[in-house]
Amino acid sequence: MRYEVTLDERLVRVELTPDGRFTIDDRAVAAEVREIVRGWLWSVTLDGESHEVTLLGHDPMRVDVNGTEVRVAVVDERAARARGGAPRAGSGRVEIRAPMPGLLKAIHVKEGDAVAKDAPLATLEAMKMENELRAPAAGRVTKIGASAGTKVEGGSVLVVIASE
Amino acid sequence: MTSVLVANRGEIALRIIRACHDLGMRAVAVYSDVDRDALHVRAADAAYPIGRAAPKESYLNAARLIEVAKRAGCDAVHPGYGFLAENADFAQAVAAADLVFIGPPATVQRLLGEKTAARRVASEAGVPLAEGTEPLRDVAAARAAAKRMGYPVLLKPAAGGGGKGMRAVADESEFAAAWRGATGEAMTAFGAPALYVERLVPHARHIEMQILGDARGEVVWLGERDCSIQRRHQKLVEESPAPTVDDELRGRLGVAAVKVAKAVRYTNAGTVEFLVDGDGRFYFLEVNTRLQVEHPVTEMVTGLDLVTLQLRIAGGEPLPFAQGDVVRRGAAIECRVTAEDSFGGFLPAGGIVALVREPAGPGVRVDSALFAGMTVPSEYDPLLAKVIAHGRDRAEAVARMRRALDEMRVAGVPTALPFLRYAMGEPDFLAGQYDTDYVPTHWPPAERGDLPDGAAAAGALAAVLAVRSRTERRAATPTDTAWARAAREDGLR
Repeated sequence: MRYEVTLDERLVRVELTPDGRFTIDDRAVAAEVREIVRGWLWSVTLDGESHEVTLLGHDPMRVDVNGTEVRVAVVDERAARARGGAPRAGSGRVEIRAPMPGLLKAIHVKEGDAVAKDAPLATLEAMKMENELRAPAAGRVTKIGASAGTKVEGGSVLVVIASE
Repeated sequence: MTSVLVANRGEIALRIIRACHDLGMRAVAVYSDVDRDALHVRAADAAYPIGRAAPKESYLNAARLIEVAKRAGCDAVHPGYGFLAENADFAQAVAAADLVFIGPPATVQRLLGEKTAARRVASEAGVPLAEGTEPLRDVAAARAAAKRMGYPVLLKPAAGGGGKGMRAVADESEFAAAWRGATGEAMTAFGAPALYVERLVPHARHIEMQILGDARGEVVWLGERDCSIQRRHQKLVEESPAPTVDDELRGRLGVAAVKVAKAVRYTNAGTVEFLVDGDGRFYFLEVNTRLQVEHPVTEMVTGLDLVTLQLRIAGGEPLPFAQGDVVRRGAAIECRVTAEDSFGGFLPAGGIVALVREPAGPGVRVDSALFAGMTVPSEYDPLLAKVIAHGRDRAEAVARMRRALDEMRVAGVPTALPFLRYAMGEPDFLAGQYDTDYVPTHWPPAERGDLPDGAAAAGALAAVLAVRSRTERRAATPTDTAWARAAREDGLR
């Protein structure tokens, strides 16, 4: 099975053969993947080099490789082909979610507003601090998901932007 | 003094419990509903519930804490930092209940707690200050004062500390919004909305001087810490000695700090904060009448244990050494590993910690309350752990810190580790060339840097995990390993 793995912005092609051999970017590699802590920590050797990989979080997948954090996305090659090749860029819909539970102090925009990248969208009070949530991209506000003065759960959608 | 109530949580509660045990004292922990499983509860000799998660209903509930101290048979209370540590009414109530308050008494806290009052003390002691106002409640008056002294200015809560509710204002157009935000935050954090306006010293370095005073009126200074690397006026990295402070300036800062302390008959541990500009001029900022988060930096350099000294001084012992006996050796750095997303504007983020590995080895110390399986509560400060490295000189301390941060793993919640690792290899930091603008001017880096050497290992793992999740969706015989099975299925197809 062949996979397209995106590490930060770089694409790596990984093939896993039926007898357990790895090919990375069309080069055969003697690889061993040992699971140390189920679901979280692996020891990986590649041609004798020893690496430790820790899963830091899902969705988006973040891993630590030897002390450096890397974002990972993986699709199998058939899915990538079906989708028209290269991994897609953003769909245009950007959700700004509460990073943690807290008090939504203010919403600084309303539906229909055009916002620049980094424009303040909402102020969330959590962990004794007021946190400014900013637009990750320029676009137009299509939805406001919560009202100012209310408590919000972590992960709840506060603002939706159609990015340009 | 034989039994101490530790009126705090997290890593500092654990730090105080350790000091109690080093002196053969009993340590009693308290916990809110969400902290029942916390490390400090398990490390203490006794532990009592004090209420719900919200600080006001637990760690800020002075009456409840004193009641628990009495019931648990304690004869002293250590407030740690944050929460009630700089609340003079609490210190007074503790003393009134015939308990020893481990820190400066209420009288001293009152003289220094209100920031504009502290400025008056320093001014009368002949210590230089940055230009500033009295506490103001009226936005128009504050705006006029800002205009008079000239932008940029800082808005600071008169009752505050720890950088909470502080706002930098670059020009008049930002003033109204900054005033609103800072007033709101000051009200939430300290229950008092009054702010004062202070001239912002540009490219200043935040240098603080550790002091210790005893009941006889002796005060010594132990050395400075540079705490300029901050985000939202909250410190992320501290070090001692400060890279730009030479012996002469260090001596002048020490003498100035002792002057302020002696003016109020300061006892116990404290920190006098200064801003130092590019020409070696310094300005008094405030006094933190408590143990600091970053106290381990000074402990590593001086070899002293500040928390056991706090306990001994509070118990009535004189300082066991004089100014001339204080020896500073090498350099130390502290990095604060907070539950904040380095790549998301340092927004704090809660969650469940899935896996933890803390660094160790020569010259490395970790003060932490982390454990695998813990839920990071959203009600409190996001500090998870402090990594402290010591070396013969700054270069060795930085090398050890870099090694330590590379060893550290925290899975399940975002952390400040990516920023901290970056800073420890960043040329300006390595050159000691940084000020309070460091984070906004250096992070996030324009490019995310090269992939690490072993990045292909992440690729291999990602493929294995993809295979596993495919296989787990298909029922299969339990004798095979997951990916041998998936690989075979692919071969058969």
